[in-house]
Amino acid sequence: MPSGARTGVRRDPGPGGPQQPSSASRIDGVDDAELARRTAAGDGEAFGELVQRHGLPARRVARAILGVGEDADDAVQNGLIAAWRAIGRFDRRRPFRPWLTRIVANAALDLRRRRKVRDAAPISEYVADTRVKPDRAADHALFRERLRDALATLPEKQRIAVVLFDAEGYLHAEIAEVLGVPEGTVRSYVFHARRTLRRALAAFGEDVKEGTP
Amino acid sequence: MIEYTPFDNQPDPMLGAELRAALDGPDGAPFLARMLAAVEAEAAETAWDVLGRWAPRGLVAAAAAAALFWVIVRRADPGPQGPVASAPVQMEVSPAQPEATVLTVSLLEGR
Repeated sequence: MPSGARTGVRRDPGPGGPQQPSSASRIDGVDDAELARRTAAGDGEAFGELVQRHGLPARRVARAILGVGEDADDAVQNGLIAAWRAIGRFDRRRPFRPWLTRIVANAALDLRRRRKVRDAAPISEYVADTRVKPDRAADHALFRERLRDALATLPEKQRIAVVLFDAEGYLHAEIAEVLGVPEGTVRSYVFHARRTLRRALAAFGEDVKEGTP
Repeated sequence: MIEYTPFDNQPDPMLGAELRAALDGPDGAPFLARMLAAVEAEAAETAWDVLGRWAPRGLVAAAAAAALFWVIVRRADPGPQGPVASAPVQMEVSPAQPEATVLTVSLLEGR
């Protein structure tokens, strides 16, 4: 655990949003490895910057596992605290985000085990009744709801794999490391997940066509 | 939407954008602020806080261990065995030859 660390971070991300740090920051342009080193040396601001950079992608991964709710945020929080404690053991020759993602994903899986949340159920809880035929005004919001619904039907590892590959830009090898499966298995997960999503979204398109006057 | 194969090596940017939009919320900035506050609270906890949280349990455990040790020692100790005869008395009473240590003690005692 970093000794005497304080996350003296910029709480207000400013109008540029959380992923665009202030240009006045002394840690602009500093890479993740250096931020991790500074964090391990007790620099809380450095860890705050890492949270700013990777917090939202970590949340998306947690939501892919637990659904869009407070559980996912709790998992991210647990994961970030675990990462902060373990930052001294992070291998700085490797990319930071997969390391953090693995910790957050494990925290999410652990939370789900403890709370005995049914697999795939949480996401659909947040989805409106998709049997309602959409009209064009509902469009994108409904499309996203349908996408979340389709995601919820996927087996967990397929869900994580497709989110990491298509949404977060991870390589197959990195996903394999996160999931603890061979790279070829990750390719299979991504392929099958995409096919399922494609079918679900194609059906949505048909619904839209039918609903068009 | 594009045709997928198991050999695709590139992310689908359209699907990726939709997935991000579906999994993100409008509350990104407050979420990050909450996460930072949580880590900060964790970081603010000093070693004394940790010790303070564990101290009562540690004291109870130490007291219990001491009590157990005392009970074991009391049971193992048979108590006083009566007065030990001095070296000259041992020399007079014992039929065997006195050991060197007994003689030394006797000399030191001046008897």
